Amino acid sequence: MSAQTKSSPATNIAKGDRSAREAITYYNPQEEREADRAPLQLALIRRIFAYTKPYAAKRNWLFALTFARGLQLPALAWLIGRTINGPIAGRDLTGIYEYAAGYFALVVFTITNFHFRQRFALELGEAVVHDMRADLFRKLMAMPMGFFNRTKFGSIISRMTSDIDSVRAGVQDVAFVLVVQGLQMVVSAALMAWYDWKLFSLMVALAPIIWIVNENYRHEMSRRLRKVQESWSRVASTLAESVSGIRVTQAFVRHDVNADFFQRLIDTHGENNVGVAQASAVFVPLLQLKSQLFLGAMALLGAFGALRWHGWLHMDVGDLVMFFFLANLFFDPIQNIGNQLNQAFMAMAGGERLFRMLDQKPEWQDAADAKSLPLIQGRVEFQGINFEYKTGRPVLTDISFVAEAGQTVALVGHTGSGKTTLVGLLQKFYLPTAGRVLVDGFDLNSITSESLRSQMGSVQQNNFLFSGTVMDNIRFARPTATEEEIHATLESLDCADLLETLPHGLQTAVTERGASLSFGQRQLVCFARAMLANPRIVVLDEATSAIDTVTEARLQRALENLLRGRTAFIVAHRLSTIRKANLVLVLDQGHIVERGTHASLLRQQGVYARLHREFVSASPQN
Amino acid sequence: MSVLKMLGTAKLTSADERYSTSELVRRLLALAWKFRKDCLLSVGLSLVLLLLGLAGLQMLGVVIDVIRHALDPSQHVPVYPFGWHPPDDWSPLQIVTALALAIMAQAILRAALTYSYNMVTARLTQGEIVPELRAQLYAKLQRLSFSFFDIHGSNSIFNRVTGDVQNTRLFVDGVLLQGLNMILTLVIYGIFMWRIQPALTLACLSVSLPLWRLAHFYSARLRPGYLRNRELTDNMILLFSESVRGMQTVKGFAAEPHQIRRFEAASDEVSAQQRRIFWDLSIFTPGTQFLSQLSLVILFAYGGWLYVQGKIPLGAGLVVFAGLLQQFTAQVANISTIANSVQQSLAAARRVFEVMDTPVEVENKPNAIKPTRLTGQIVFENVSFGYTPDKPVLKDISFEAKPGQIVGIFGMTGSGKSSLLSLIPRFYDPHAGRVLADRKDLRDLDLDAFRRQIGTVYQESFLFSNTVAANIAFGHPHATMEQIERAAKIASAHEFIAALPHGYETVLGEAGVDLSGGQRQRLALARALLLQPPVLILDDPTAAVDARTENEIVSALREAMAGRTTFVVSGRLNLLRRADLILVLDDGQLIQTGTHEQLAHCSGPYHETALLQIMDLDEEGKAA
Repeated sequence: MSAQTKSSPATNIAKGDRSAREAITYYNPQEEREADRAPLQLALIRRIFAYTKPYAAKRNWLFALTFARGLQLPALAWLIGRTINGPIAGRDLTGIYEYAAGYFALVVFTITNFHFRQRFALELGEAVVHDMRADLFRKLMAMPMGFFNRTKFGSIISRMTSDIDSVRAGVQDVAFVLVVQGLQMVVSAALMAWYDWKLFSLMVALAPIIWIVNENYRHEMSRRLRKVQESWSRVASTLAESVSGIRVTQAFVRHDVNADFFQRLIDTHGENNVGVAQASAVFVPLLQLKSQLFLGAMALLGAFGALRWHGWLHMDVGDLVMFFFLANLFFDPIQNIGNQLNQAFMAMAGGERLFRMLDQKPEWQDAADAKSLPLIQGRVEFQGINFEYKTGRPVLTDISFVAEAGQTVALVGHTGSGKTTLVGLLQKFYLPTAGRVLVDGFDLNSITSESLRSQMGSVQQNNFLFSGTVMDNIRFARPTATEEEIHATLESLDCADLLETLPHGLQTAVTERGASLSFGQRQLVCFARAMLANPRIVVLDEATSAIDTVTEARLQRALENLLRGRTAFIVAHRLSTIRKANLVLVLDQGHIVERGTHASLLRQQGVYARLHREFVSASPQN
Repeated sequence: MSVLKMLGTAKLTSADERYSTSELVRRLLALAWKFRKDCLLSVGLSLVLLLLGLAGLQMLGVVIDVIRHALDPSQHVPVYPFGWHPPDDWSPLQIVTALALAIMAQAILRAALTYSYNMVTARLTQGEIVPELRAQLYAKLQRLSFSFFDIHGSNSIFNRVTGDVQNTRLFVDGVLLQGLNMILTLVIYGIFMWRIQPALTLACLSVSLPLWRLAHFYSARLRPGYLRNRELTDNMILLFSESVRGMQTVKGFAAEPHQIRRFEAASDEVSAQQRRIFWDLSIFTPGTQFLSQLSLVILFAYGGWLYVQGKIPLGAGLVVFAGLLQQFTAQVANISTIANSVQQSLAAARRVFEVMDTPVEVENKPNAIKPTRLTGQIVFENVSFGYTPDKPVLKDISFEAKPGQIVGIFGMTGSGKSSLLSLIPRFYDPHAGRVLADRKDLRDLDLDAFRRQIGTVYQESFLFSNTVAANIAFGHPHATMEQIERAAKIASAHEFIAALPHGYETVLGEAGVDLSGGQRQRLALARALLLQPPVLILDDPTAAVDARTENEIVSALREAMAGRTTFVVSGRLNLLRRADLILVLDDGQLIQTGTHEQLAHCSGPYHETALLQIMDLDEEGKAA
């Protein structure tokens, strides 16, 4: 880390010293990064290859086509050489026309082949990726909730984007390009050796040099590109937070400090970009130099070989012409093969991570003999429930209670007391570590998640809405619902007017983070969504945000409509909700410490009464 | 948000109409002119490279002719290039040796010059133009009004500083430099070939026109295809990421099969659309290759005939032609790339210039007074204000806040509360009337010095992904640790900060620690208090927290407000009832003023809310 700190002024800023406070975001140079290369593994290759099985005909054609192409390319070059050495040098006009016609025919053949080779490769790549996407998505949908709590969102999304893309490149290019390039190299080598093995053996000596130069270049390049990525991620995060935090910046008069800081970041990033350009600015001319120098050397050697040397050293001018056209067909694959191998390493790394996710065993699944839950009344019973996310860290301990059908249960307690986990167990997002959850007497462990959840409706605190219209979001609960049913649902909540007065009514788009809807409107969409499911049991994580009084009153009314006649579990923040509950469970560190109705709990003068005092003291009449 | 609704449709389209193409080109040329030295150097180098390449090829051709002539004197007599002629006593071997060495020297020189050409261009674009444009944009953005951010959205603004700047730069290297390079190449190669054999030149270049048409046709055809592909892929990824983020909702409604169907439909659509692109690509690339091969066939047939007739030499004629043709056709295919770059860079430049040209709404007067520490007296005199002139948000507001007073602001959503607050730190200037601090019009005060005397806490406080200390010291990066801790203590934040894994050096945000709503607000309060401002602005600081947390914040505020003029917007009466003065706003008008006691007993919106919030506790009393 200290070495890095010295090398660039920008990393200095990230140190714990005072100037670190001029930074907008914290920079951790040691942050773990996913490896972008992995060694070739047979099992992995076989598994990726297995995805081409449904498209075996296309794949096999592709191998045949690439094989043909590997022969065609040297054949074209050879034919040029032959034309010059033969009819042109011999001033044979008919021969010239015949050769030109032959060349034309070969060109047509090669180009036609090329069309299919390119199209099939692209199509095969897309087909494989398409199937991988489907597998990944199905897998994710089958994973239990716990997986999503544990796994970083970013790492799931990069399976779908960058990893699958690197596998695509592997599938559509590596094997096929290797066939073409390898064959082309072998054929041109054979031709050149056949024409003049002495000159050719001189040439072969160049091959390892090109390989080494190319490898060095790639390593240097990827090192420099990593630096660019690093400085870029700093620029991007600083810029993004500067934009989101603009109100803070202006209120705290940070424009100049920020601008100076950003300037430094941008300059460093610019330098790094120039660094990448420099690596290729050195390398590209080097490779060109190679072929140009080679031409000069060949001219020199050829001159001596043809004019001066005799015996076994003698060379034929015609051979020189041949070499002139064939040499690059031999040299270029060296680089290309190196680059394809690198591509293969990247595909390995991507494939490894992708399959690791596909192979994850869900920590639990519905039992094989799980039955479908019949239509329920909504009686819920928790029997001696214990639950822990991590072994040894109990989140809920010995939870037992009964909620009769149609009753409202309010869950009260501090953050982290286990309220949300309790309703999660009821929705079978998690399985209890011990004890049973019964719905209408059915143990949740023995029934299917789908049949349970389709009789439930939930509203979460964060009001998650999908992009799409308001209508789409309500319909989410029942995709087959008609527009009339959705209107009817809104009517039954007594809130249709609040959504229908939106700029485009129910067709209003829910934009990024729902900016087009107010908080209250979002809440309402969630209520409607839950209502449309026509659930027997409603689970509600009550929102905390204050909405203006009029909207708040309407929401309360909508809520009452939603709950009428249904069993309800509410993680409650509002006194009015708690007071109306049939049963209040007071949770503390995973235990039910008190239970009863609002009035009976107040009389107990215990935890609830203390909590209640906090509510009251936060209110104006005190 | 309200600003967005008002201005959204009116302003979003204006960027396209604002600049004519000629104006954009003029400004982009001015940008290139600013870096004319490097541009000229780059063009000069590419010209030298072009000539060196020609010389190399020509010499190679001559070498072939010399050898052939030496072997068979009946062959064409070599024609030497550039007016050079070898001394008569040189043997062909000596001539070839000299030429071969010259070719090698040329190759080395060319490699060195190619390196400097690449470096000059990279420095010019990545080292100079891009950083300069980005720094300019960023500095400008920092001072633009919030409505600019609301209208354009964070993504669009982010893209302007990142991708759009790169594409604007493309005008200099991708259009100007590449274009000049292309023209030079085509002209010089054309002349060179013409001098060898005009008829052969015409014959071979006859494929250029169809090649150019083909490239043009396909780029016009492929571009919308790629755009559509981007759209479809983004759509699919969005669906994917929302399904993961909203997994609890998906599972809650047992909607997994539904989501799988939707995702697969989106994925199918991507694949189906890709197939069309693949078809186009697989006709275009082989098509281009076919045409350039066709020119070779013509060269053989016609050139072969010319050679047999003795009209051109083999090396300096046919071989040189073959070499030139390849590069010529490559440049022809390049035309459509350049044409695309023109489109791309103009569209991007439009968005970049739009930011640069947006006026900063609030600016310092030239002779602005730097205020000394304010007492905290703030007066509104008949203030009217609106984000657009025809839609007033505040109408004729007058009131006085005495030093140290607490002023509560109450009203329904959209009544103008936040707009009123935003006039105090002079984020906007009123359209009519004046805002005075210590009896001075805000417009006469030095903006930055004035704002530093105001501390602000927003509804949902934005904290940066940085350390706790850096967040508190945001307004004064060089604050000492003691100052930071003192601010944290007043904001009742010190205790929870000390309990964090790394105390004040704990990093917040994505990879760091998540704070609860109450903790975030107290941190924001500490940030506002760091500079011990005489004026404190609280924009609904307890809106997004539950009752218990609200209580924490309120008790923290009690100490924070002591000795400062405080403006607080809130719908919660427990914050408002401590105010010395409550302003009740309705549709931009000040309809009532008074204390909690006074307002709670007059009919009006305040009274209604009071009833609703107190009702809970009244019933409570009866139950207990």
